[in-house]
Amino acid sequence: MDDRQRILSRVRAALAPLPSRAAMPAYGDDDGVVRETAHDFAAAVARAGGRVFLEPALLVQWLVGRGDVRGYCDPSVAPEVRLALSRGLVLETKLVRRRLDEYRFGITRAAGAIAETGTIILDDATCSSRLAALAPWIHVAVVDPDTIRSRVVDAVGALGTDPYVLWCTGPSKTADVEGILIEGVHGPGEQVVLLERRFAPSSVRPTR
Amino acid sequence: MNAPLPSRRVQLMATCLCDAFYDDVAAASVEVLEHLGCTVTVPEDQTCCGQPAFNTGDWPAARPVARHTLRVFSGDEPVVVPSGSCAKMLSHGAALLFEGEEDAATAASLARRAWELSDFIVHGLGVRAWPGRFDAKIAFHRSCHSRGARYADAALALLRSIHGVVVEEFGEAEQCCGFGGTFAVAFPHISREMGSLKLDHVLAHSHDAVVSTDMGCLMHLSGLARKAGRPFHALHVVQILRDALSQAPPSTRS
Amino acid sequence: MSREPIDQFAAGQTEERRASVRLGSKAGHEKRTLAIFGDYARPDRLRAIAGQIKQHTLDHLDVYLERAAARLEANGAKVHFAADADSARRTIAGILQRRQAKRAVKAKTMVSEEIELARHLEQCGIECVETDLGEFVVQVSDDVPSHIVKPILHKNRREIAETFERIGLGPYDDTPEVITRRARVFLRRKYLEADAAITGANFVSADSGRIVLVTNEGNSRFCIAATRCHVVIVGIEKVIPTERDLGVFLNLLARSATGQQLSVYTEFISGPRGPGQPDGPDEMHVVFLDNGRTDVLAGDCREILRCIRCGACLNVCPVYRQASGHAYRSVYPGPVGAVLSPLLAGDRFSEFSDLPRASSLCGACHEVCPVDIPIEDLLVRLRNRAKQTGVKSPGTPSMAAWSLIASEPPAWRAALAAGRVVDVLPSWLAPAALRAWRENHEMPSWRGGAFRTWLAKRRTKRDG
Repeated sequence: MDDRQRILSRVRAALAPLPSRAAMPAYGDDDGVVRETAHDFAAAVARAGGRVFLEPALLVQWLVGRGDVRGYCDPSVAPEVRLALSRGLVLETKLVRRRLDEYRFGITRAAGAIAETGTIILDDATCSSRLAALAPWIHVAVVDPDTIRSRVVDAVGALGTDPYVLWCTGPSKTADVEGILIEGVHGPGEQVVLLERRFAPSSVRPTR
Repeated sequence: MNAPLPSRRVQLMATCLCDAFYDDVAAASVEVLEHLGCTVTVPEDQTCCGQPAFNTGDWPAARPVARHTLRVFSGDEPVVVPSGSCAKMLSHGAALLFEGEEDAATAASLARRAWELSDFIVHGLGVRAWPGRFDAKIAFHRSCHSRGARYADAALALLRSIHGVVVEEFGEAEQCCGFGGTFAVAFPHISREMGSLKLDHVLAHSHDAVVSTDMGCLMHLSGLARKAGRPFHALHVVQILRDALSQAPPSTRS
Repeated sequence: MSREPIDQFAAGQTEERRASVRLGSKAGHEKRTLAIFGDYARPDRLRAIAGQIKQHTLDHLDVYLERAAARLEANGAKVHFAADADSARRTIAGILQRRQAKRAVKAKTMVSEEIELARHLEQCGIECVETDLGEFVVQVSDDVPSHIVKPILHKNRREIAETFERIGLGPYDDTPEVITRRARVFLRRKYLEADAAITGANFVSADSGRIVLVTNEGNSRFCIAATRCHVVIVGIEKVIPTERDLGVFLNLLARSATGQQLSVYTEFISGPRGPGQPDGPDEMHVVFLDNGRTDVLAGDCREILRCIRCGACLNVCPVYRQASGHAYRSVYPGPVGAVLSPLLAGDRFSEFSDLPRASSLCGACHEVCPVDIPIEDLLVRLRNRAKQTGVKSPGTPSMAAWSLIASEPPAWRAALAAGRVVDVLPSWLAPAALRAWRENHEMPSWRGGAFRTWLAKRRTKRDG
């Protein structure tokens, strides 16, 4: 008997004497759940410690101001966006692993987002390089507002079949040293969102 | 004034702690229940609910005692007890103790009839406000057995309704006082530290009394406090209810 | 004075250590309270649902485990089962050796500590580096974690800086930011040089065949993205029925653990990297571990298997705050550990039988548990089990005499009368329990029989 059979037969033997078995509870998505009903994605990103830019030019301005001029950009980012970014930034479209620490930022496409929590969703299909989104101090996720889900439960319902779906909620952090919050541990110290322009820039509301 | 209540027959479980140390609490319970129109029987053969041995895991020692209690409080009258921890033993602990044993059904029947005193007054008899007067600033200690039960809120509601009573909050109220029955003697250091932390919060502001639904907690806290040279006045909820009726000065016996 | 190891340990703690643990735990509890009660109208309802989902899964674990394994395999992961720690170690070493992997990076997983994986791999000539900042500090300072979410809760910055200087990460600097940056730089090299990633999993969704990893630092992301082989070691009890159920647990987990809505990173992984993705594993292995869990499932404390390792029970526990995690001498400390550790110890139960005694049964743990585990009931059950198997409990008074007196009314009434001797009994004559009580407390006056006398007088007055 291999370990698989051994474990499964132990499980069955453990459960056999039970007089009754717990039923699956019926529950609604709203049971006990969040009080507020309207979710502002940009505000939630800010609460989670991230930043939102509505215009590539503003993102460029911020990066240049910090001296973070050279970085990686996914070649499949919309041409007009890449063009706008290249006015001021030096963009490489192929990530070279042995020069990983030379990229001051990584710009990749997001697969979606969650308004409730200010979360960016990445996956293997839309993110050109996991390391590009992870290693540089600054990660810029290009988010299409049409892909913003309202709540965590909605995003869970839309996980799809990608083998690696990643939710990023703010910059990487730890409080391991005396409970003091430090941002930027192994992952990015800056989590940035660049919203693609398909809407009025004054507000961002989820479409579902 | 409350309208006269229909006469109710109840049995009173005095509790072993009140039998040994806190006779005034048991007496006040009788007086308060009779004031509310109840006919109170106090079975003479009662001893202890069995919790001390149950909590230590010595269930073979606990069963004869709990079984005796089931017999003493048989029948179908409500059994009222001025102790949240004893009430929890009757309503929850006994079920575990007699799981799969022949006394399970009797234990279940007593569980359905067992009431903590404040719970009985508010939810059993429907009393919403307490008459009389009791001038005191008090700190109310929620004993841990009140978790998941409604009697602590019932006791607070009664206290707040009394003219002259002011209930004050204190910090880290969810933290246990450190009594835990035999825990206090088996883990004396941790128990004392837990009690000291509790006293630091409770005694941070001056009160006329520290009040609870459980004499176990109060015995532990007042014993620690007196030994540490910072005594305080401890009262059970029911003593305030009784004293408010007569508008007598705060009870001097603790 | 005390004869209980955990009480002795607590008494021997430095004030500095005690303060770190107490204040850190309190802060964690307060953050949880704000997040749960701030965001949820009926948090107890959500906890009850989560508890029922977990209990349902446990009660049908054979079905869900087989379904999870089948779906994971269909998604391209290789699935293994390990009946015990030894089998798990050999399986994982075997996977790495077949790939000629010499360097592994590990993201925090308590299960790997349970089976002492790192030490075994080192013995096989495979370097195994902890990448979670707290676990990294523990590893390089040859220490043991003291909390399941905040492993170095017991350390202060001074101690960490001294360790970093000793291992050559730079001259002494105890600024938390510098400490963190130094670890970032050091571990980044390790990620990029590693051959394999070893992680745990917080959940395994059976219907979709996905593991879920919940972290804050980015270490598990880096372990997996930088290497070509990903090994997941996970307890069989981590399976949940459907992806939809993940929503319930994800909403509760970070709030309960740290007061965040979500932890920074939530990874949903169903197999090796997708086509066209340059980074990540070409091989993914999931090792399902038993190691005593089926024994727990067969016993009367099965509800403990619902645990999602949030640490909320540790944060609120007044005994944990006094004693600290090290007092529990096991991988799982605090209230959950007081139940799980003796149970997983199997035939070494008696070595950990003092853990369930280290509790006043206050039930605060149950009140904060996102999956509604009645921990205080399980502790009493374990005390009963210890008693039945003849394990001694030093410091706990014998209940034999009490049992006789309290089941015989005449004996009880006699004791009430005779008990006044307690007031005048000198210490050297008093039973141990009474002496222990008097060490810290003044006794209340003995009033045995007074209530019954009062009652009799009252009846006579009324009837007379």
